[in-house]
Amino acid sequence: MDLEINVNGEQWVLNVAPADVLLDVLREQVGTKSPKIGCERGDCGSCTILMDGRSVRSCLVLAVEAEGHDIVTVEGISYEGMSQLQDLFISTNAFQCGFCAPGIVLAATELLENNPDPTRHDVQDALAGNLCRCTGYEPIIEAVLAAAPARQEGDSQ
Amino acid sequence: MIANEFEYRRPTTLAEATQVLAQHSGSVKVLAGGTDLVAWLRDDAIAPDLVIDIKAIPDLRDIKIDGDVLHIGSLVTFTELIESDVVKEHVPLLAEMAETVASPGIRNRATMAGNICSAVPSCDAGPVLLAYDTAVHLTGPSGNRSVDINDWFTGLRQTAGTDDEVVTHLTIKLRQHGGVYVKLMRYAGEDLAQAAVGIVAYPDNEYRVAFGAVAPTPIRSAVIEETLRGKPLDDDLVAAVVAMVPDEISPITDMRSTAEYRTHMTGVMLKRGLWAARQRLDGTGPAYGARLI
Amino acid sequence: MTTTFPFEAESTEDELKTVGTAAVRIDGLDKISGAAEFVDDMDFGPGLLHAAIVESPHAYAKILSIDTSEAEKAKGVVRVVTGDDFPYKFGMYMEDRYIFAQDHVRFVGEQVAGIIARSHREAVQAAKLIKVEYEVLKPLLDPKKAFADDAELVHPDLGDYTHVPWFFPQANTNIAHWRKIRKGDTEKAFAEADYVLEDTYTVPRYAHCAIEPHVTVSKLDQSDRLTVWTASQSPHTQRHLFAEALAPLGFTHKDVRVITPYVGGGFGGKAGVSMEIMGAAMATLVKGRPVKLRWTREQEFYNTYQRQGVIAELKVGVMNDGTITAVEHRLYWDAGAYVEYGANVVNAAGLSATGPYRVPNITNDSLCMYTNLPPGGPYRGFGYSEFHFGLESHMDRIAEAIGMDPVDFRRKNAIVEGDELAYGAHMNPSGLIEAIDKVADAIDWGTDEESDNPDTVMGKGMALFWKAPAMPPNASSASFLKFNEDGSLNITVSGMELGQGYLTVMAQIASEVLTVPVEKIRVETPDTDRNPYEWQTVASHVTWSSGLAVEKAAIEARGKIFDVIHQVYGYEDDSLYLEDEKVKCKTDPDFEKLLSDFVIDGIQTEEGTWRGGPIIATGKFMPEFTNANSDPETGQGGHPNVHYTVGATGVVLEIDKDSGRIWVRKAALAVDAGRAINPDLVTGQIVGGLVQGLATVLYEDMRFDEGGKMMNPTFTDYKIPTAFDIPDEIIPIIVEVPQPDGPFGARGVGEHTMIAAAPVIANAVYDALGVRIKSMPITQEKIAMSYLEKRSG
Repeated sequence: MDLEINVNGEQWVLNVAPADVLLDVLREQVGTKSPKIGCERGDCGSCTILMDGRSVRSCLVLAVEAEGHDIVTVEGISYEGMSQLQDLFISTNAFQCGFCAPGIVLAATELLENNPDPTRHDVQDALAGNLCRCTGYEPIIEAVLAAAPARQEGDSQ
Repeated sequence: MIANEFEYRRPTTLAEATQVLAQHSGSVKVLAGGTDLVAWLRDDAIAPDLVIDIKAIPDLRDIKIDGDVLHIGSLVTFTELIESDVVKEHVPLLAEMAETVASPGIRNRATMAGNICSAVPSCDAGPVLLAYDTAVHLTGPSGNRSVDINDWFTGLRQTAGTDDEVVTHLTIKLRQHGGVYVKLMRYAGEDLAQAAVGIVAYPDNEYRVAFGAVAPTPIRSAVIEETLRGKPLDDDLVAAVVAMVPDEISPITDMRSTAEYRTHMTGVMLKRGLWAARQRLDGTGPAYGARLI
Repeated sequence: MTTTFPFEAESTEDELKTVGTAAVRIDGLDKISGAAEFVDDMDFGPGLLHAAIVESPHAYAKILSIDTSEAEKAKGVVRVVTGDDFPYKFGMYMEDRYIFAQDHVRFVGEQVAGIIARSHREAVQAAKLIKVEYEVLKPLLDPKKAFADDAELVHPDLGDYTHVPWFFPQANTNIAHWRKIRKGDTEKAFAEADYVLEDTYTVPRYAHCAIEPHVTVSKLDQSDRLTVWTASQSPHTQRHLFAEALAPLGFTHKDVRVITPYVGGGFGGKAGVSMEIMGAAMATLVKGRPVKLRWTREQEFYNTYQRQGVIAELKVGVMNDGTITAVEHRLYWDAGAYVEYGANVVNAAGLSATGPYRVPNITNDSLCMYTNLPPGGPYRGFGYSEFHFGLESHMDRIAEAIGMDPVDFRRKNAIVEGDELAYGAHMNPSGLIEAIDKVADAIDWGTDEESDNPDTVMGKGMALFWKAPAMPPNASSASFLKFNEDGSLNITVSGMELGQGYLTVMAQIASEVLTVPVEKIRVETPDTDRNPYEWQTVASHVTWSSGLAVEKAAIEARGKIFDVIHQVYGYEDDSLYLEDEKVKCKTDPDFEKLLSDFVIDGIQTEEGTWRGGPIIATGKFMPEFTNANSDPETGQGGHPNVHYTVGATGVVLEIDKDSGRIWVRKAALAVDAGRAINPDLVTGQIVGGLVQGLATVLYEDMRFDEGGKMMNPTFTDYKIPTAFDIPDEIIPIIVEVPQPDGPFGARGVGEHTMIAAAPVIANAVYDALGVRIKSMPITQEKIAMSYLEKRSG
């Protein structure tokens, strides 16, 4: 089937089978490798993408379902330098192996866009579907809280 | 990677959808959020030869109130429930339940109607929709019909809906109430219910009590509701209905929990849940979303 | 009496510039921008083939026949592979595995056949068409039953297997290795002890759960060179085992190349060789075509290494003043169907099963039992987490029985520098007492806390830990270092960046010696053709061992730099020093020379000729004081361990008496890092390791049905922590009692931080509820049901 999708601002016309999963199509046909294959059943969150601005498990979406939708991956938000959130993740050594990082960057990006002043509980909730085995989450949670727009404004005053 | 191949259709009207369903002779699955369906396809747990995606059909996404009836379209996601002002104002219990479902990346896709169509014993929407006496509205080749939620769950992963029907929306008749959804999980993060209790308390000591994950389907307890009816809640009454729990449920022992713990915790959740629902009705209970266990 | 080390590292007294600072990770931008490339992200072009594996549904069975005819005809199939194609054995410490099953399968999930196809979907579909006929045998699933005299043999040919000299397999039994320690006279000590406590503790199997599954791409090119791209902790060990196992096909080490880019978590699961050898072998049959084999999450659970289960029978004797006089520890390890790596876990535990205590009389028996469960193997903690659960639970119980505060009891018996170890060598410098005191302070030990909530109670617990790297006595590390024109550095090593921050730490060590800032140093992930040797990235040894190799390379480079300056300007080498990327001279304060001025092009002399040239250096390290030769009956006489890292963990928790739910309100963990090269990264190990350890006691365990099939091979039912499931507060404490032979005094901390997590919870649960739980995990369900039972009398 023909599939027309927008990935990181670029329009793609692809040929896919109905059984093809969006995650595999993004990695193999579009070449965006930041969404990772971790569990392929929606448990781990390492395949997280933003679809029309909302975080989605790309392993649980058929590619054909994405017809006409806008997809953003970490590559897409990194073209013009790192976001405040990404900068903080780097400067605080918030990650270790980095395999879950693309998914967590996107889940946290979604949170901060919808909630400029999250509590610790809000951050935990936003990240609860993104498994990280290395860090114990604490440095990640702290960096997301520090990157919150409300906190950033407070800091600059 | 999904090994088995299938055909995919995306109708743009309900009529088209029902027509495709009616004409198709093989196995077919209706796709909404896909968070169960795609996982089952990947696991080879199902192998349909046709998947019908209903997301291009308009008018299935509404959350609205018509008189004293709340209408929730079958494509409404758990995230939309959490973010809906209508839900916040009139049925915050739905948001309390929705917040316990998996994680944002799932809730952004998964629909409440899909949850009760998958009809696993632990489906979070089950106990709450049972406690609300929800009506499930379907359309199919023979027209529209509605099914009382109490008749909806017919067995393990079985519903009263037929293979050639599509759920269009759910309705709940609104009146003043307090509610609670208590969910037993193995930890605070994303998990399926090991046992769950949904309770709606109406004025004049009228209660609806439903359980999840402690029987092949989500279930109501008429006996417990009857015992509570008309009596002010006190410790003895609560103890009396908690004592009825073992006879009202039929939990299994599986990898997630033992039958004994499920039974014990259903009693604990019923006790804490009844008080919370009662207090919420009175406007004094813990805020919706507060975890009771 | 301490060990004399042949190599004393750079002075730790000098003021340090880079070492000891929280340098930003040199891989941070890669990982956060999405640029970091893992094996599965690499492109291999349209020729890439995909493999799928046919697995045994039985835990123990004889293979009667394999019919591949339908699969061979299936769409897209290029080649079908069975054990007949590769009748070769392999193994890390003991050769007991085959690449594909031969006549028997010994665990559910064991690889019986493989499909190579043009697409992943075609490979998986074709795998379903292979028909295998089995004669099903009765599986052995319990290590104590495996020990019984009349047990069926999982490996009837055990007596013929090749193994390292420090293993003692018992032919015609299921005992693949029996590590014995006999020191002093335990029988007499128990008879004379004022109090003796004897009990049994059980620990199930656990999974590593790195978020990146195992994946390998292998290609045999037309020149007969085999290249394997792999998600591995052990590139050189993999190359070695591939070359050895495939030697019958004509491979030598130079023909085999292993390339390991970033790895998405290891925790021991990607050490040694597991599924990679299937990919490598299959590729030899389709010359010129790369073959990808990627494990599903399910396979990740049941066909890689698993952390072994153990039944621990423990007897400890003490005097009324709290002095421990004897320990008898008998560990029955459920090592699984193949123990080629796991037997060394058994060995390591047996050497150290007294825990970090001074014990004069010791009887340790660590028994590596074959069972028909998936192969056991290395997992962060390497046997120590397992035996610490019982040991540290026991210590609390003994303290209570003799009326002593458990912290005082531990402080009294804590091992200190110079104390004799179980195998006769002596303890290295250690900050154990300091760790105990700091953790006790951090959790206000001695102060009872009350909950405001009538449904909950509070509890406190404390537990100690120790661990030594478990390595062959001659495990070694090496490094290459080269300067670039601008004075920046490229370093190649073959340790793996698993997330722990290894590359950054190596850069910091080189930076300290050469004064080149960390931002100007690139440290590359391994390619065995180009990077120098490293044994493996396991055992928490690379900061120490690879760090020493890098330090030596940097010192060698500095010597070469000083030589050039000496040649041109005549200053004596010992008058020269480096500062801010310049060579300076103590005897001539006006002299300075920028490194970037000469480290490639050299320095022009007055007569116009040039001196110097590219500054390159090498470094290597091998511990030369260790040996694994000991008496098999007593374990005495060798020096198997290089040193121990020690520490303490404490928690304050709140428990819901009805549900059993635990909230860890506060956790403190002190570890003696010797010297924290990068405190941020040490803290990362403390927090991450503690959370991983807490998960093994609170949430996780592998469940198997009666047929030996794993019942929960998904994250849906194997519950690793989410962002919600962590302590409210973690207090990381870094103790620094330098390791004399460590780089700037450093020793490893990576595994240690999860070791005491299980007993500390057991002890705090007892403190809160008076319920002693002796089997892991201590789930909310187990707590609630145990407490219900206690309340009902």
